[in-house]
Formats: sequence, structure tokens, C-alpha cells
Amino acid sequence: MRLVEIDDLTVSFRQYEGVVQAVRGVSFDLESGESLGIVGESGSGKSVTCSALLRLLREPPATIAAKRLSLGGQDMLRADKKALASIRGRVAAMVFQDPMTSLDPVFTIGHQIVETITAHRDVSKKDAMQRAIALLKRVEIKNAEAVVRFYPHQLSGGMLQRVMIAMALSCEPAVLIADEPTTALDVTIQAQILQLIKDIQAETGMGLVMITHDLGVIAETVDRVVVMYGGRVMETGPVEAIFEAPLHPYTRALLASIPGQKPGKQRLTEIPGASPNPADPPPGCPFHPRCPMAITACSTTTPELETKAPGRTAACIRVAAELAAA
Amino acid sequence: MLQFIIRRTLSMLATFFVVSVIIFLMMHAIPGGPFDGYEMPLPDNIKAKLMAQLGLDKPLWEQYVRYMWGVFHLDFGVPYQSPGETVMGLIAHAWVPSLVLGGLGVLIGAPIGILLGMAAALNRNSWIDYLASGIATLGLTIPVFVISTLLILVFAVWLHWTPASGWGEPRRWILPIMAYAAVPLATYARYARSAMLDTLNKPFVTVLRAKGLSERRIIFQHVLRNSAIPMITIFLPMFVGIATGSIFVEAIFRVPGLGAYFVSSIQKRDYPLEMALMLMISALFCISYLISDILYALLNPRIRLGGKAR
Repeated sequence: MRLVEIDDLTVSFRQYEGVVQAVRGVSFDLESGESLGIVGESGSGKSVTCSALLRLLREPPATIAAKRLSLGGQDMLRADKKALASIRGRVAAMVFQDPMTSLDPVFTIGHQIVETITAHRDVSKKDAMQRAIALLKRVEIKNAEAVVRFYPHQLSGGMLQRVMIAMALSCEPAVLIADEPTTALDVTIQAQILQLIKDIQAETGMGLVMITHDLGVIAETVDRVVVMYGGRVMETGPVEAIFEAPLHPYTRALLASIPGQKPGKQRLTEIPGASPNPADPPPGCPFHPRCPMAITACSTTTPELETKAPGRTAACIRVAAELAAA
Repeated sequence: MLQFIIRRTLSMLATFFVVSVIIFLMMHAIPGGPFDGYEMPLPDNIKAKLMAQLGLDKPLWEQYVRYMWGVFHLDFGVPYQSPGETVMGLIAHAWVPSLVLGGLGVLIGAPIGILLGMAAALNRNSWIDYLASGIATLGLTIPVFVISTLLILVFAVWLHWTPASGWGEPRRWILPIMAYAAVPLATYARYARSAMLDTLNKPFVTVLRAKGLSERRIIFQHVLRNSAIPMITIFLPMFVGIATGSIFVEAIFRVPGLGAYFVSSIQKRDYPLEMALMLMISALFCISYLISDILYALLNPRIRLGGKAR
């Protein structure tokens, strides 16, 4: 079953300067049990895409349009408030970037997990609390019985992110959406949290959407990758294929900019220029002003996402030309 | 928690002591004395005798100690302008109308203001928001004596619904209470709106939505409790205004409250009455802040349990 179906999603925000299109025609799917990485730099529209999928954006100022936007087979564009509340947390749960600000400071950890469980399941508070403790143990929190009585400010960032994961898992969602779950954490903690998410995914068979700007995170946790830039999908494909032979010039540039690939001190490789201003995007391919392979046509035609090889797509007129030549 | 309350109480007492010294010194720093009449000046020897009788010839520190000793025994002396009664007695009977007026004014104004502010925050940039902000701005910018006069004009002169002034039967309370309620209502509408908006923009609210909680539960359980913390700061001190804020309203509606005595006791150098009034206000402020602090701690685990602030 397709857990997530996004077809031609557009998200725009009404602002003082006018309408800003943060996501411009994004499409991708997630099969059950699959893990998908969405990678891109800040402003590429990756977080907005997932917030739009759960309808978490305030509308207005946001406006969401899509040919299809479904989660667990349910049409998210037609769902009313009640249906949305029932889908959120149960069909798809989300883990956010900053665990320090993700919990309500005036309620205990236990209360916040219990209220998630009782919102979706007809269980007693006592049973829900037992489940909360079991979940905290699962995310490797020691003395979980005591931690349920703690307030968020009494735990470290790494502990809080474990709590957030436990809370997300509390209603056994079919999909876990992790929006930069390790960005706010220390490097040593990052690896532990990623490993935890990977283990739990293997154990429960749930689908995973990992949003990140960190290619290292992608390489370690997912099967398939969606590369986003300027509110569009640039390339999709299996993770190994993309790391070995990236098709899109943007993906290539992104991979080349990972530091420390060769030993010794050297100048860092960067992508020249700045990412496009979403209020005033360049015409044609959003990457063409920074692309080393750009030709005149790149600034006039917007490339469609096309299948370039089995299981791989890219939105680049130059890639097609190259494959034809090869 | 107990330690917290003890600590706060001690610091409150220290504050109160400092304030009482300052008030005492300031009272006596006002040039002139209670017996400096210009039309019928008292002979110097009589004046000196009176001063000695009242202990006003003693050094200031001794006067202070003697005064505070009385205060601890709830003896505030006799008001110079009304020697037939005690300060306690005068305050007791004059305070009743002020208390009814101010108390009902705050109790009616604040909840309406909170509801207005909440409605505004939940319907940001809609007509409800603009209406609420408009009312709040008018309530805070139009002086209370203008509001009072307008109320009299509309409800008493044009509509004949209520008497124009006076106290006594509850019918006469309506206009002064409406006038008094304007400021708490406006203050609360603004405060509640900004506190709610502040909380609504916190990331944890998005997390609560992503967990699948109903919007009603998010607002009434989580957002309201977080927004209540800043609102408490202004709630109790507002009650202190009962002793001071109603001076204008009381004067316009001829309410026989405490308001008039504040002014007259300064003009007449009525040290016992003025001291008692000022001390009473200071004590009310100190106590209301103490209660606010304790309520704060009960609502906010970060204060109750200590630990690093974030």
C-alpha cells in the first residue's frame, strides 16, 4: 500500500511582499515499510512539504494545492478538522528539529505521552501511563518510571529527543516523519538518535520520511532519496545509486561539497552563489544560475521530472542529453 | 516549595520596611506642618504644646519607631482632620464603597477583557481581532473621567436608565462600576491577546497538533495554562488599584470612598491618615506580588523546581 502519495504539490504563502511559493510542483510516494530521505538546503521546501502533508501549516497565510495529497489512503486535502486530528499521530507521527521547544514546559513528560495515547485509543490513563513507561524504556531512557514525572526542563536535549520519539511511536504510526531530528543535538548524540530511529523502523516496519540537509544522515538511514532545491524535486533514486553516480548537477555539487573526502587540509568545495529567493525565483530551472552545465535553454524551460534510468528520475534537460550521447 | 514561600515572605517584609521608611521620610519632607494655618495662625507656644502632645517634636527616628510600634498593634492613631475617630475607623467605613466599586470593577472587567483578548488571538487579523484591539485602545487612551462623563450623558441624561451619581442602593453602582471596569477590561484584552499569540507561536503547539490533539484541548489545556503565567503578574496588583485608582471615578459619581482622603490628608499634613493609606497600599502591593509569585510557581514547574532557565 502507498502510505504517502504526493502529486504536484504547491504551497504558497501570502506575505506583505506578495505571494511566495515555497513548494512548486513536488511529487513523490512512500511505500509501506520504505524509508525515504528528503535532502536539500534551507529554503528548498523540504520541511514545508511535510508540514503541508499533515496540514500543519496555518491556512491562510499558507495555501496548499495538489492533484493528490494522501496519507494512509486518506485524502488530506478533503479531510475536516476531526479527520485530520485522527490521522495525525495515529497514521503519521512527526519528530521535530528542536526537542527543547517541542514539549509543553508546564506539563510532565508522562502527561504529554499519555494525552497522545488517550487522544487516539480508548484506554485508561493508568494503562496509558504503563505504555508511556514501556515506550521510554524502548527509546533507552533509564529509570523511565521516574522520568515520566519529570518536566521538560529537567532533561537534556538528547533525552528530550528520545522522549519525542517515544511519543511519536506511542500510537504505532504507519509513517514516522522526522524533520531534521538531529540538527539541534551534539554530534555524539546524533549518531545514537539515528541508530535508534533505524532500529525502531526495522523492528516495527513503519515507513520513514527523514528530512535533512545532512547527506551523512541520508546515507545512514534511508533506502531512497528525494533531492529538493528551490521548492522543486531535482532528483530521486535509490540511496546507493545517488551517492555513486548522481544524475542532476545539483546533486553532484551537493556531494562534492561534503568535506573530508580526501585526506589533508584543502579548500572546501562550495556551490557558488546563493539559493534562490522564493519570492522571486529564477525562470526555468531553479538551479541554472549556479549550474556549471547550464545552457540558454535552462533559463527558459522548466525541466520536468523524468525517468532517466530504472528507478531514477531527474529534472534536468542536460542529463537527458548526456545519456543520449553516452 | 515551602522554602520558596518563606524566602519570598522574608524578602517581602524587607521591602515593606524599606518602603515604610521612605514614605515616612517623604511625608515629613513636605514643607510645613499640620498647624501652619495662614488665616488664623496659632501662637507659637500653643503650637509647640500641640506638637509635643502629638510627639512631633521628637527626632524623626524616634517618631518613626513610635509610629511603627503603634502600627504593629494596629493603632494608626487619630486623623488630624477628623479627631473624633481613629484612622482605623475612618478607613473601615470609607473603604467599603471603594472596595465594592473597585472589586466589582476588576471582577467584571478582567474576565470580559480576557475573553475579548482570547477571541482576538484565536481569530487573528479578523474583524473580531480589530474590534477587540479597538476597544482595548479606546479603554486605555480615553481618560477615566471622560468615560465617566460619557456614561452619565448616555445612560443617565439621555436614556434615563440610571441615576447620574450617588451611592447607596445598588442601582447607583452600575455607572461607576462600568467606568471603573474600563481600564481592567482594556488592559486584560491587550495582555490576553499578546500572551495567547505568544504561546500559539511556540513550536510545542505545532507538536501538539501533530500528535492529533483536538484544537479545543490544545487551546484550553495547553495554550491557556502557558498564557496564564504572564497574565497573573498584572491580575493581583490590579486589585491594589481599588485603594487608589478610583479617585476620579469616586469624585465624579460622588461615591463616599477613600479616594478623597488621599488628596485631603496630604494638603492638611494629616500624617497619621496619609501614612496609614500609603502603608496600606504598599502592604497590598507586597502581598499581591507575594501571592503572584506563589501562583507563578504553582503554574510553572521551571520556577517551582528551580533548575536552569531556558
